[in-house]
Amino acid sequence: MNSSILAGEFVARGRSESCSVIDMHGHYGPFWGIYLPKPYADGMLDSMDLCGVSATVCSSHSALVDQERGNREMAEVVKQHPGRFYGYRVVNPNYPKQAAKEVERYPEDAGFLGFKFHPDQHSYPLTGEGYVPALQYAEAHRLVVLTHSWGHSEYDGPKLVQQVAERYPQVTLIMGHSGYGEWDAAFAAARDCSNVYLDLTAAYRVNGIIARMVKEVGSQKVLFGTDLPWFDPHWAIGSVCFSRITDEDRHNILHRNAERLMAPFRATPRAQ
Amino acid sequence: MDWFDCNVGYGIARVPPAGGFAATPEELLEELGFCGVAEALVTHAAIRDESAQAGNHLVAEETSAHPRLHPIWAILPPQAGELGSVGDFLSDMRQHGVKALIAYPDEHRYLLNSLTLGPLLEEMTARRTPLIVGPKWAALTALLAEFPNLVVIVVGHGSWGEDRYYRPLMERYPGFHVDTANYALDGGVKAAVDRYGPERLLYGSGFPELQMGGSLLMVAQADVSEEAKAAIAGGNLRRLLAEVKLS
Repeated sequence: MNSSILAGEFVARGRSESCSVIDMHGHYGPFWGIYLPKPYADGMLDSMDLCGVSATVCSSHSALVDQERGNREMAEVVKQHPGRFYGYRVVNPNYPKQAAKEVERYPEDAGFLGFKFHPDQHSYPLTGEGYVPALQYAEAHRLVVLTHSWGHSEYDGPKLVQQVAERYPQVTLIMGHSGYGEWDAAFAAARDCSNVYLDLTAAYRVNGIIARMVKEVGSQKVLFGTDLPWFDPHWAIGSVCFSRITDEDRHNILHRNAERLMAPFRATPRAQ
Repeated sequence: MDWFDCNVGYGIARVPPAGGFAATPEELLEELGFCGVAEALVTHAAIRDESAQAGNHLVAEETSAHPRLHPIWAILPPQAGELGSVGDFLSDMRQHGVKALIAYPDEHRYLLNSLTLGPLLEEMTARRTPLIVGPKWAALTALLAEFPNLVVIVVGHGSWGEDRYYRPLMERYPGFHVDTANYALDGGVKAAVDRYGPERLLYGSGFPELQMGGSLLMVAQADVSEEAKAAIAGGNLRRLLAEVKLS
């Protein structure tokens, strides 16, 4: 039987008083390929409350297509729910002029941690020129960049993530989905680069992978994420709770690492 | 909560899952115990990866000493006679207490339709034997039109949320069920229960490919009544298995 105190609390009550979860990989709004029962702020907050998630860092689905309109939408949500929603500003490198404007506009909105890249959705390599302005800005201002990554992708596989991390050492680079499926390369990047973090989103569902992350990389480099409003945070929390790791590791993953990364943005929400 | 997993496996696969697996029923029971799961419908990896003949034999033999584990057998087209005649197969199921069957039409290279499987599916319908199958939506839509009273459990659907595929089937066919193993959609369980009632969802873990505790915590804390959770956790599967006529 699992003797974890945290697992017992989450199974019994759905949340833990000692473990206020932070979700570092969220989205916002409806999305073309999936029925989402709760895509907007009220539904997402409802799920966060049910699961004991204090804050979610999101990017707008709309911004994956129209970055200006979507980022504006996300900024409005963050403004309306300070402390519950934080933002990533999406950069779509297929439209370089608009992307440059989105980088210029970054300081306008409080509650943003940095940028969101989705090279697979945009069919554009993470190492391409189109991402350089955002990465240079993030490097200069020590921002966070959450990039989608997927195993063996020509656009955002973990080896490309490592290349970018080495080029921009001041950027905190969150490897979304931990390079799903190309685990050894993803773990190597997180081990070799102090600025690379593994993100649990979707990866958490793979049996035994969280224990491998903790063993091979360390729980200090693993961040909790769910893709909310896609995936039920309880599914992801359950994966953490029923992995063969310690409660100290669970605290690191579920909130402590995120608290550490978010501290500068909470103290000075507008990164200048 | 009385957990009964409808989607779990053990045994050596061609390619081992990235994060580990249970090689034996004893190892599987340890994993189930870690997560507090009482019982499970069980497949053997050899059924899919080696042969139905070998895997069906292994899972029946190796689980026979473990009353918490209930073997699932694979079906094959009876025309080739690999599992005997339909009558032989049903007799073997009775002898080994096999109450659920699984189909791997892609891996085992056959078409899931009445031309291929008609007599067996007629027997399964009459005996209320559940057919477990992955999310082969087009094939299932055609199949259920021909066998509208067949009991079906679709497992492993939905990392992208497949409501747009499965809801039409759920609305038309009362024997259509889905498991929760990969149905991590936020608010999905509540939305399905609100619309169709709790009877059509079954707790499944998807182990060893998927983490056993994820789906479990999602169901345990779903925003539905305690009665609905209990039904999904195990009550529905117990009811379905109790309805199966082995002879």
